[in-house]
Amino acid sequence: MNIQFKKGVLELCVLSMLERQVCYGYELVNKISKSISISEGTIYPLLRRLKSEELVTTYLQESQEGPPRKYYKLTELGRKKEEELKKEWFTFVKDVNNFLKGSEKNE
Amino acid sequence: MNKKEFLRRLSELIKDVPEEEKKDILFDYEEHFRIGLEKGRKEEEIAASLGDPKVIAKQSRASCILKEAEKTTSVNNIMRAIFAAVGLGFFNLVIVLGPAIGLIGILVALFASAFAITVSGVAVLFGTLIGPVFAWNVYIPFAAVVSIPLGIGLTTLGLLALIGTFYLAKFFYKLCISYLKINLQIITNRRNRE
Repeated sequence: MNIQFKKGVLELCVLSMLERQVCYGYELVNKISKSISISEGTIYPLLRRLKSEELVTTYLQESQEGPPRKYYKLTELGRKKEEELKKEWFTFVKDVNNFLKGSEKNE
Repeated sequence: MNKKEFLRRLSELIKDVPEEEKKDILFDYEEHFRIGLEKGRKEEEIAASLGDPKVIAKQSRASCILKEAEKTTSVNNIMRAIFAAVGLGFFNLVIVLGPAIGLIGILVALFASAFAITVSGVAVLFGTLIGPVFAWNVYIPFAAVVSIPLGIGLTTLGLLALIGTFYLAKFFYKLCISYLKINLQIITNRRNRE
């Protein structure tokens, strides 16, 4: 998959991941980088931005393996944003698909 | 690069971010390293997959400094925000620094004019009232009947203009912050796509 596509939809991927489950940073970065190869460090500034826009909140929670971890949770606003972005994404994909199929037929 | 080196470089690159924010940013990466090590990865491997600290620092710095300028109004803060934005790339040198210089120019010109009007009003007034008492050689081409109201009028006008310019400066400050915010969003998205 093209690198430009991947990075453009990073925000949607993070929101969608958090829509399914509450995550700590490492988990989130790890899961996303499994399907999309990005430099992992850039997810943290993105998370900070999402937090300052009040799309996510954070809290610390103890873990069995060691010190407490910072967890990220979607807010109501974040949920709405996720839905909106997802809808936009699917419409976009559908339109591009239709276009590509159309141009095949015309060839 | 190992964990210590990575964190030291990042910390050095964001040293002008407020202490609280800086701690917060470093905490995230420390945690990332810690959990990665627990999962059996090597420090070097984790650092490599995190990417260049420079890229991370640029993204974190610009938004932090802007947040600070929004919280406490000061010329110093807005200047730092402008320069942090300019530092994000050549593209920004044109679309941020250009308008910034323009706005500052307008404000300086307005302040200077308002100040000049006030001074001239005070001068006319004093010239008329006190000039004759001390036998100063002041030439005012109006009769006192005209020049006294003229002096008072000019002084008032000048002071009002000063106050007006002050409010305009405040408005420009807010405008600047909204502009930088939008700019930052565009720039970071652009950078992510690059």
